[in-house]
Amino acid sequence: MDNSKKKLSLGQKQSLAGWAFLTPAVLFIAVMSFLPMIQALFLSFQSGKGANLSWTGVTNYVRMFQDPVFMQALKNNFIYLIIQVPIMLILALILASLLNNKDLRFKGLFRTAIFLPCATSLVSYAVIFRSLFAVDGLINIVLIKLGFLSTGYNFLGHPNSARIVIILALIWRWTGYNMVFYLSGLQNIEYSIYESAKIDGASPIQSFWGITVPLLKPTILLTAIMSTNGTLQLFDESVNLTYGGPSNATITMSHYIYNVSFKYVPNFGYAAAMSYLILFLVAVLAFLQMKVGDKRD
Amino acid sequence: MKKKIVSLLLAGAMVASLTACGNSGSGGQASGGKDGGAKGGNELTVWCWDPAFNIYSMNEAAKVYQKDHPDFKLNVVETPWADIQTKLTTAATSGKLDTLPDIILLQDNAFQKNVLTYPDAFKDITASGIDFTQFAKAKTAYSVVNGKNYGVPFDNGAVVACYRTDILEQAGYKVDDFKDITWSKYQQMGEEILAKTGKPLLSCQAGESDLIMMMLQSAGGSLFDKDGKPSMVGNDKLKKVMETYASLVKSGVLIEVNDWDQYVGTLTNSTVGGTINGCWIMASIQTAEDQSGKWAITNMPKLEGVDGATNYSNNGGSSWAITSVCKNPDLAYDFMAKTFAGSTSFYETILPKSGALSTYLPAAQSKVYAEPQKFFGDAPVYATITDFASKIPSNNTGVYYYEARDAVATAITNVVAGADIDAEIKTAEDTVNFAMGK
Amino acid sequence: MTKGKKFLAYSFLTVVSLLSVFPLYWMMVAATNKSVAVSRGTLMFGTELLNNTKKLFASQNVYAALGNSFKYSIVMTLISLFICSIAGYGFEIFHDKAKDRVMSIILLAMMVPFAAIMIPLYQMFSKANLLNSTLGFILPSISTPFLIMMFRQSARSFPVDIMEAARLDGLNEFQIFCRMFIPTMRSTYAAAMTITFMNAWNSYLWPKVIMSDANSITMPMMVANLKSGYVTDYGTLMLAVLLCTIPTVIVFFLLQKSFAEGITGAVK
Repeated sequence: MDNSKKKLSLGQKQSLAGWAFLTPAVLFIAVMSFLPMIQALFLSFQSGKGANLSWTGVTNYVRMFQDPVFMQALKNNFIYLIIQVPIMLILALILASLLNNKDLRFKGLFRTAIFLPCATSLVSYAVIFRSLFAVDGLINIVLIKLGFLSTGYNFLGHPNSARIVIILALIWRWTGYNMVFYLSGLQNIEYSIYESAKIDGASPIQSFWGITVPLLKPTILLTAIMSTNGTLQLFDESVNLTYGGPSNATITMSHYIYNVSFKYVPNFGYAAAMSYLILFLVAVLAFLQMKVGDKRD
Repeated sequence: MKKKIVSLLLAGAMVASLTACGNSGSGGQASGGKDGGAKGGNELTVWCWDPAFNIYSMNEAAKVYQKDHPDFKLNVVETPWADIQTKLTTAATSGKLDTLPDIILLQDNAFQKNVLTYPDAFKDITASGIDFTQFAKAKTAYSVVNGKNYGVPFDNGAVVACYRTDILEQAGYKVDDFKDITWSKYQQMGEEILAKTGKPLLSCQAGESDLIMMMLQSAGGSLFDKDGKPSMVGNDKLKKVMETYASLVKSGVLIEVNDWDQYVGTLTNSTVGGTINGCWIMASIQTAEDQSGKWAITNMPKLEGVDGATNYSNNGGSSWAITSVCKNPDLAYDFMAKTFAGSTSFYETILPKSGALSTYLPAAQSKVYAEPQKFFGDAPVYATITDFASKIPSNNTGVYYYEARDAVATAITNVVAGADIDAEIKTAEDTVNFAMGK
Repeated sequence: MTKGKKFLAYSFLTVVSLLSVFPLYWMMVAATNKSVAVSRGTLMFGTELLNNTKKLFASQNVYAALGNSFKYSIVMTLISLFICSIAGYGFEIFHDKAKDRVMSIILLAMMVPFAAIMIPLYQMFSKANLLNSTLGFILPSISTPFLIMMFRQSARSFPVDIMEAARLDGLNEFQIFCRMFIPTMRSTYAAAMTITFMNAWNSYLWPKVIMSDANSITMPMMVANLKSGYVTDYGTLMLAVLLCTIPTVIVFFLLQKSFAEGITGAVK
């Protein structure tokens, strides 16, 4: 190192400071995540029950495409992703910009109420959703009263309606969570921009698309990547709300991976291979989202 | 100034929290070490999960044992079943068996899977001095692997058919009309009750295979043959079971609900006229105190036209396993032999408070078991159930039992929705074969 | 806003809020009722709160669970907030090609389901003798790609010009972070604190796997214990769920003003 002889330029000095700042976090991630991930990668080329494993090449990777349950799970995950994520993020954005309005009262109460679902324990939320959508549940009673149905419909007993229940549950649970990021991101936008836009005759909808969305782009990117990741790794709702049923119509990849690891005869090599497919899918989608959304102006 | 305070506070919090976690970290390790190693020769650690049931029983067993061994100590760590399975799998796969306790409670359905997958994790207790002949045979079979005993049987999963006598009466029936009957007779009476009272006779959880498995085992059928190979295709008993189930649903005598809570709700809300399940369901039924005296039990219906069909089956239940890392196996054996596998008075103590029915046959002769139960119309239900337990045919669970149960649950869901039974059974067998790597 | 629009906004927010609050109401109702009343679907407050409380405290070590959950969550929140915010700051303020690349690689760490890395992690922790320890509990989630990225994204709106002035005043880079960035980004910190606290509070699988001591029970473990038996006492269970939910809600309520009501401009 002959750096000591030369005087560091300001740019180099700052770059070094940057590296110093991010090193602890990166080290933790390397040890706590990447190290086990590399072991899991090796594992994904092995096969066997429990602790008796042998090398089997890409067998596990071929196997998952022949596994009807996993293919169903993959399809389910994408259905949830495509329908739920856009609805949830747009709803969260609308709620955040409404609640950022200076003229509105009781904002603290509204915000806390809307955040509540994601703080609500899964136990009670699963029980409530299932009883709401039961054959003699509230939803059916209302639909019958309104004349849409003549007898109760078993929402959780049919594949498509069960998927819709999962999507509704996800939107219900995570909209307030995403709203938090938008609210905090909105604090970095000067309120005067909105006021001058108003003077220029812009409608609220115009300033929403013209000001809020572009200026929140970094936060929107963050929530988009997180939601993509969260939905492709979805576990809780499949396990607790529908138990993956009826006949695997709502099961998710993570739920199946968990079954293969801990419920059934453990096959960790296969579980690791399926996990790496999830990594691949999320990485590709996140990469595309970064390409579109992570440009510095 | 303000900023300075903020950063100072943050730095202070950091230092405080780091030292705090350093301290408690080492403290935790010390106690962890104590648990694993130098616990001395008179303490046993147990993992089990139900404070009102098996944890209570374990603690009572410790009290019994302490009478002769005053320095004996028992340390129960409450761990839900799903977590016991996760922790066991993690420890055994990691090769860190020493993190396991001395005794764990295993669900009977998962017993063979765990012993066969992790043979190093459990002690063969065939020659431990515990007398296994004193237990119901079908029960012991769950914890016997390759002819060796690995578990001390605990709670009874004998199937009972429970009926609401007041609802039966409205249609002119008595409980005795349901004793020793076949499923077609059951359905016929059920249809009549449905017509007269508007109430189905039976409910169960959709997407679960419990009822299917109870019906199958009652006829001595299994999803696997003796060598552990799936035997679903060409299994006449299984086909008959599925036909019976589908027909019950179609007739409206059996209603499917979406989860366990709703199932318990159908019983306590008087939505249905009865239920068929492991005898432990009686504890949930009894939470509806206003229905006291209105319930009665008898045996379950049997399959028609099937060899070996009986009115007896099993659902659920668990057994104690002693781990290979148990520091003091002789103590564990002796403790088990003198309590769960040797003391009628112990079972008499735990029955009234926990409803924990044993499969220890001598206990059935006890007076406590013969006492009339007010809730169930003053019938001596506990003695009845222990009698049922001795008549249950065995079930081959094997290693891939959970896979097979789920595959059958998927099949029956599709059959009820109108799919062809033979094709669905074939798919189920394919699914299990796939899991087995064929 | 005109009156009509305001009315619309209020109605919309009220409907969304009511839908969101309903489960909490239901939990409160359930916690005051007998188990059988809950499974019969009651929506009216009952008189069993005292009994349910007694039963809960008799069967579970509630104080230990509350104490542990608070200890783990607070320690985890403070440490990970510091480590991740300084990293996010480093990634954005001093960004170059190499750092952007490292950032994208780091993101990969969150894309594998935890079930797949749990066993290697467990082996590592048992070798390091970290099982049954607070450190073992918090280490795996102390640095998360999510938090780092959150701070990286919000650092983008940090006014860089004021840094030059600070440097001229003789502040070093770490001082600038502590004295300029942290106060300016209070809204991001408050939001991150809420989310991190909630995640730490609700974490279940990993703690359950590495903790084998009855005294290391946490609130979610307590809730799980209550629904593992043959008979579930719904009244008691929902009381426990309520106790498990309230702290996160309080943390949110206390912090929401800080992240949702503009206090920026303090430095600008």
